Formats: sequence, C-alpha cells, structure tokens
Amino acid sequence: MKTPRLSPQTLRVLESFIERPTAWRYGYELSRETGLKSGTLYPILMRLAKYSLLETKWVTTEDGVPPRHTYRLTPNGVELVRSTFATQRATLKARRPAFSGGRA
Amino acid sequence: MMPLTFPRSVAALLLRFAIWIAPHDTHDWGHGMLSELNHVEGHWSALLWALGGAGVLAKHAILALILPGSHRRTVSTASELFAKEPPMRKTTLAVIASCVVASLLFFLAPVFRQAFHVSLAQWHDVFHVKQSFGYPVPDPELDALAKKAEQNHDPELLAFVAIRERNQSESVRLADEAVHLDPNLTWLYATVAVHWSSFPELDRWVPALQKFDAQNALPYLITAEKIDIDQVVRESVPHRVEDEPAAWKDAMAGAFQSSKLDDYLDRRKEIDRRVLLHYRLDDPFQALADDCWYRLPSYGVSDSSQYAKLLIESGNSLEASGDHKGAAEKYLAVARFGQLMGPTDSFFLSREIKEDYRQLGTLAERNGNNTDAAFYASLSVQLDRAAEKQLASWRSDSRGSAVSRWNALLVRLSGLALLFCGALLFICAIGVMARGRSTRLSSLRPSPLSLVVGCSSAIGLLLASAVLLVSYLPYSELLQRFISTGDESGVPELSNFLGNTRVPLGTREYLGVSNAVFHFWFAVTVLCALALLVAVVRHVQTRPRATMTT
Repeated sequence: MKTPRLSPQTLRVLESFIERPTAWRYGYELSRETGLKSGTLYPILMRLAKYSLLETKWVTTEDGVPPRHTYRLTPNGVELVRSTFATQRATLKARRPAFSGGRA
Repeated sequence: MMPLTFPRSVAALLLRFAIWIAPHDTHDWGHGMLSELNHVEGHWSALLWALGGAGVLAKHAILALILPGSHRRTVSTASELFAKEPPMRKTTLAVIASCVVASLLFFLAPVFRQAFHVSLAQWHDVFHVKQSFGYPVPDPELDALAKKAEQNHDPELLAFVAIRERNQSESVRLADEAVHLDPNLTWLYATVAVHWSSFPELDRWVPALQKFDAQNALPYLITAEKIDIDQVVRESVPHRVEDEPAAWKDAMAGAFQSSKLDDYLDRRKEIDRRVLLHYRLDDPFQALADDCWYRLPSYGVSDSSQYAKLLIESGNSLEASGDHKGAAEKYLAVARFGQLMGPTDSFFLSREIKEDYRQLGTLAERNGNNTDAAFYASLSVQLDRAAEKQLASWRSDSRGSAVSRWNALLVRLSGLALLFCGALLFICAIGVMARGRSTRLSSLRPSPLSLVVGCSSAIGLLLASAVLLVSYLPYSELLQRFISTGDESGVPELSNFLGNTRVPLGTREYLGVSNAVFHFWFAVTVLCALALLVAVVRHVQTRPRATMTT
C-alpha cells in the first residue's frame, strides 16, 4: 500500500485521530487540537484521503446550520497509524541508552 | 453559528471565490472549509481560516492549470463516460478575466491613457501617409477644440488652435478671429506668419504688427520673406543682393534699425499653459508642439546674412572714400543686429558678424583707438565661444539622454505588446465562440492551445500595461510641472523622449513613404492579415460537423 509522506504535522494530525479512531471529527476541531492552521491542516487531510487513509462525510448538526464536513480514519488508516507509531516507539527504544537513568 | 460581520463576510466571499476557481475534485474540501467558517471563534480568526483555505484551493487551481491531468477526474461509470464535456476551465478563465480587468482598470488612470496615446505615436506616420506628400492631416481633437473656441468666443483657445492647425487657411482664419476678439493678441499674427510664410492676409497683418509693436524687427523680416517667396514663385530670384528690389532693402533696413527682435515665444507659452490648465488638456504632443516653435521666418537668417554683407561692403566703400564715420555706422548696424538676434540665431550669422567686428577693430586702430580695437577683438572671441556652446547644446539636444531613449523604447515596446496581446485575446475569444457556436460561458469548450494562448496574452497584457505606466510616469510629472508651474527645466528631456517615441521600432528615423522600413511593416501587416484570413477559412472548412444517427 502506498503511503503519504509523514511529516511532523501529519503525525500530529494522525495522533489526534488515533485518540478516538472511530469518531467523526470536524476540521476546526482538528485545527484546535493540533494547533495547525487551515492552510496546513487541509492539505494533510486531502493527502490522507487521496491515499484512502481517511474517509469523509457530510453531517447535518442542527436546523438552519449548513452541514459540516467530517473526517475519520479508514481501517487502513488506523492500521497505518498504529504500525507507524509502533515502529516509532521501537526506534526510540533502540536509540535510548541502556543506562540512561530513566524508566526501565 | 457566529453572527455575520464584515471580516467574516469577506472571509466567506474569499472562500467562495477560491471554490469557484478550484478544480472540481477539491470542491468538497472547499465547502468543508466554508462550513467550518461558521464555527470559527473570532472574526479575524475566521478571516485567517479563510485565507489559509483559499490558499490551499488556489494552489490546486494553479496546479490544475499547469498540469491539467493532475486533477482530472477518472470516469467510473457509463453515465459519466457519456456525460457532457466539462465546461471551460474556471481557473484559466479566472486568470484571464482578472488580467484583462486589471489591464482595463489601468485605463481609468488619465496618466495611463496619456501613456497609451504616446505609445501609439510611432504609428502616426504609417497611418497618415498623405502627410508625407504635404497634404494636411485632419486632427479631430484640434477640430473639436476649434469648435469649442468659436462657440465660447475664447480668443486664447482660438490662438492655441491657430498655432497648431495644419491647414493654412484655417490657421489664418482662426488667428484673425482671435485678434478680432482680443486685439492684445495681435502678436499671434507674427507667430502664424512665421509658420506659414506667405498668404494674402500678410498685407493686412504686417502693418497691424508694426502698429502693435513698432520697435520689433520681426514684421520687417516677415515682409522680406514674403518678397523672397514671391520671387521664387515668379522664378525671378536676383543673383546679387544689390539687385534685390527696393521694398526688400527697405524691409531689411527697417529690421536692422529696430531696437528689438521679439518672437513672442514667452507670450505664446503663457497662453499655452493657461489653455492647457483651463481646458485640462493633457496631450503632451499638443502641449509642447515643438515643431511649431520657429523663432524667425525661414528666410530670416539668409536675408539677414545677405543684408549684413551688403552693409559691410557698403562700409568698406565708405571707408575707402575716407568717410570713416559713415563706415562705422554701417558696421555698427550689423553688430547691433547680431546682438539682437541672440546666441541661437546669431550662430548662423557668426561669419558675417565676426567679419564685422574685424572691420570695426581695424577702423578703430586706424583712428588710433586701441581700446575699442581690443573690445571688438574680445567680442569676436566671445562670439566663437558662444557658437561652440550653441553647437554643443544642439548636439546634446539632438542625441537626448540615454534614459529618455530607453524609456521611449520601453513605451513603444509595451504599447506594441499591448496591441499584440489584445489582438491575440480577441482572436482566441472569437475562435472559442465560433467553435462553441455560442456566447454562453457554460457552453464554451476551448482547446488547450486556445487556453494557453489566451492565458499568456492576458498575462502579457497586464505586464505590458504595468511597464507602459512605469516608463511613462516620470515624463507625465515633467509635463504636469511645466503646465502647472511653467517650470521648463524638464522640457528638453520630455521633448527628447516624445521625439524618440515617434520613431517606429526597428528604425532610427521617422517613417516616410520612401523609407524601406515603412514598406517592411506594411508588408508584415498585409501578410499577417492574409495568414489570419487563411487560418479562419481553413478552420471553417475542416471543422467537424455533427452527424445525426438514428
């Protein structure tokens, strides 16, 4: 499976998604959680959707308010995020000195 | 949902425009950003949100323009496969429309209209070939001014038009009308007479001028010139100055005895400025009208030179006969007239005046007056220096500064580019409409070539407009300074610039019917028109026709 370039900003977005993998999320909500501006956030979302890692849906919240675009990771997306973070953790562990004085 | 305020409205407008220009497959995302806008806290934060989103969509729009395949939707269903061809690319249309609108907005600025008018000056002689044969070319702007002057009974505007009028009888008529309305403008007779040289009204005008300004030598020079021209017309030009008729000698004697030589240029400039300011005329060619600013009648210098020689010879004869006082009077008359003429015109008489100073010096030495002899020698040296200075000034004026030459080149190039890009855009628009057989935007289906050519032309149009404005702006300021304050310090630079703008591209001289460059451009124009015609005919012949199937 082809995957997008995982920049620190993309990882931040993925982290935000993985906290509640099944929940549909709003763009503004993601922006506030990740601290990313719309000009940075949306290209990431669009790229994730292009690689089928993200699915989108229009939802109507209340009467008279225009429907909102919502986003959720696809099963592929969830798997990629989990594996990516697992790999990252492993890499970090391997790099950590044996007697660093930290946690065992 | 947040209440609608100005920043929020601007933000929504911005995003809607971005969605409009964005490729089709990003519309969902655009609308997503737009719907989120309602939930962004803070009006300025909403604007920032929209700016970020619009930036993303604009980037996709540009990418779709540069790489048309990158945003092409894949056809997945049979219904989509047979669906109508998508409408003209909005992004390209938006770019073209923005550039064209921006270029048209330039035309709202009077300075730009002036600059465009100046950039077209290079084509004036091409489109007015008759002028090269001496036929007067009508000037609609001047004709309208003449009409306005007559309606308003404005003597100053009548004078302004009379000086610039290319038709002799009309110029004379307007001058007569101006002087009739305001006798203080009688000097106008001299200006018009110097320009046109010989016409029947001169018999009436010269006495009026002599009465108006009795001490001025100019009416006498005008009379002498009229006699010269009559002789040329009758083909009875005398070979020796002694054979000139008595009327000519009287006129020249009157000129040499006058106490001043006023060409009324200062009065004319003053009237010009008042008219330009009052009627808000901003045509730089009309404002300066350099070619009309002759100082003396065309025969004036040659007549003066001949009469000076006559006086010197007469002085020599008197000196030989022992009449030193009579000889000195003759020599002094020449010296005095040389001083009257000023440095510009006396340059052409410098040989005669130098000879005159030499004669005066010799005469003074003979009379034992060494102080006077030294004075005349110093005057002769001063004359040489003044002549050298005048020559250097003319050379400098004729070359002009490198800056004015380059700016004139930029103005001519950008003017040409403006016309070229405009024509290309027009052809593209006609081609696309002919292809779609409609003027409705939704049914236009331009080919990729039309899109590329149209977009390049629109961008070229905008760039050419900007370059034209920037190149012309300093000269507009010089002109405004001259008109509003009378400051002439920038006039030589402006004149050089305007002179250079009249030289067509590809040549270093003015166009004329005998000029090879004229024939070259004429041939290029005809060939381009033919090529366009052939292209249109071929397009119509090879256009695929819709076939009806049952």
